[in-house]
Amino acid sequence: MKSNFISRISKLLLLAPLLFSCSSSLDFDQVNDLKLKPVFVANLAYFDIPATQLINDGSAEPFVDVSEFNAFKDKFFRDNLVKAELNFEIENTIIRSFRIDLMLLDANDQILETDSYQVPAYSGTPNIIKFPTEVFENERLDLLKKTAKLGFVVTMDAGPPLDINSKGNLKFRSGATIYMEIE
Amino acid sequence: MRKGYLILLVIFQLSCFAQNKQVLYNFTSIPQSLLVNPGADVSYKFYFGIPILSGVSANLGSSSFSAYDLFANNGVDFNDKVRNIISNSSNKDKTQVNQQLEIFSGGFRIGGKESQSYISFGVYQEFDFLMYFPKDLAILAVDGNQNYIGKTFNLADLNLRAEVLSVFHVGFHKKLSEKLVLGGRAKIYSSGANATSTHNSGFIYTGQSVGTPNLYNQIISSNLELKTSGLNKFTKDEYEGSVPSDIARNTFFNGSLGLGLDAGITYYIKENLQFTASIVDIGFIKQSKDVETLTYKGTYSYKGANPNFDPVNKPEDVFDQFDKAIPRDTLYNKYTTWRPTKLYSSIQYSFGESRSDDQCNCKGSINRRYLNAIGGQMFAMTMPSEPYVAITAFYKRSIFEKLDLKATYTIDPYSNKNIGLGLSGTLGKLNMYLLVDNVLEYKDVSKANSLAFQFGFNFVFQDSED
Repeated sequence: MKSNFISRISKLLLLAPLLFSCSSSLDFDQVNDLKLKPVFVANLAYFDIPATQLINDGSAEPFVDVSEFNAFKDKFFRDNLVKAELNFEIENTIIRSFRIDLMLLDANDQILETDSYQVPAYSGTPNIIKFPTEVFENERLDLLKKTAKLGFVVTMDAGPPLDINSKGNLKFRSGATIYMEIE
Repeated sequence: MRKGYLILLVIFQLSCFAQNKQVLYNFTSIPQSLLVNPGADVSYKFYFGIPILSGVSANLGSSSFSAYDLFANNGVDFNDKVRNIISNSSNKDKTQVNQQLEIFSGGFRIGGKESQSYISFGVYQEFDFLMYFPKDLAILAVDGNQNYIGKTFNLADLNLRAEVLSVFHVGFHKKLSEKLVLGGRAKIYSSGANATSTHNSGFIYTGQSVGTPNLYNQIISSNLELKTSGLNKFTKDEYEGSVPSDIARNTFFNGSLGLGLDAGITYYIKENLQFTASIVDIGFIKQSKDVETLTYKGTYSYKGANPNFDPVNKPEDVFDQFDKAIPRDTLYNKYTTWRPTKLYSSIQYSFGESRSDDQCNCKGSINRRYLNAIGGQMFAMTMPSEPYVAITAFYKRSIFEKLDLKATYTIDPYSNKNIGLGLSGTLGKLNMYLLVDNVLEYKDVSKANSLAFQFGFNFVFQDSED
């Protein structure tokens, strides 16, 4: 009898807060709608070549470099990257004109894509060119994701000879805008 | 990745328990009030708690958002809700969970019938979680850095600790005179799992300035450290077991050990004017079982690929440079964690003498009962950044001789209108209590920024009932 009473009282005590509590309807499944869409900007590649490194008798000459580029080895990055934009800017204060070819190479040194940028010879006036943004989406993005190396070919067109006293630099700056969607 | 977010969200959802037990404090008809003040004026011949049911408490608190803000079924896009919460939160906002479960407890008077010395003891299990809102990192995850050129993202925003432990304790309190009660409690902590990442610093910065060789100045300066104990083996691929039961076993039988102390005082300035103070959990745990410390320390300036058209001196791959500049290091050193120390104090004025029963005041001494008491309490707790402080006004009333009510009004970091209610009743030898705070929030618990409750059952034996 007594224990019955105790259990009734204790039930009442336990349930009391619930009796006068309410809750708005909550939908925890919304967690599945979570989609992060951060946009990052980052440097891609740069160089600054002084004229004195390009000593030349006046004929056309290519300079080649291949850099490792491991960003796409990361699976998380590869899987969640939905769009990329690359921006290029070249400043030339050397009295020769150049063509810069940027090659995206895969792990087997196969060329996936080549983008070419021309810059005229320096003639005493500011000589900075900002090239239109390269947008990588869909198939072009898939190719980009295979990139393991960046190949650069700087071709100096024929023109006045360069020696150790030649002035000026060829400056290349590039950045990437990276659109991610993480679910 | 997604799982991680989910866990994070669930923790947020659970969040919101400060450890302030303002309703229990100095509620001396409940033996468990000795756990918040070992010098509380509690007397008994002996008592024991009903195992598992003598003290069940949980506290959740989240200072900048509620479950409703995140999960309301109101048609607002979930991602917008997340953004709103991020923009309404600061890195001072915190999410706290504290849960305690008494496994068993008991106490007895030592010495003869006239003695006023008491022993109390028990074991309880505790879970503690505290995380500050990682505002800058949340912005980076949601927006990226594109629109934050020139902003320094602060890595110190990453600040959290979590622990599961069991506490074995023995306390002693003595009524030295009619005016003074002193008490202390020794504790052995056994920590089954601990994760601590509270001393991070560093930043992520993206800037742009003319005349530099790069499009952006990008610097990551990282001084990140996560210490864990008792968790390492669960992250291994070959682990095949049940995480909860393994943590439970470690918590009670194979934990990292520590020592702690509580101390408290009750002093009657006048017969009806009482002062109390206590300090709880001055203690440390030497984290020694299955310890692992992960660090990312270093500074890296990201410039991008840099062809030098020199076939002899090839530059290194920039991403390899990153790994070298900010390496992931794993250490296996023991470390010490300090328990969050709590400080309570109260002043209480009693009035309205009871004229009911006890026609004969057999003991002859001042055993006058007051029906009402009002007063104020203060609570403070150490935290990784700034201390948690709360103040409380309370009113206590004996409704019947064996039914006491306490109502509290508390201003704390989560709320400036936290009303708590507590009820302690004795039926025969059975003492039952139920304490609830933030009662106003119960009209819609999903919108509450903090909630706490505690209940329990004890058998208490007094002399007069012999």
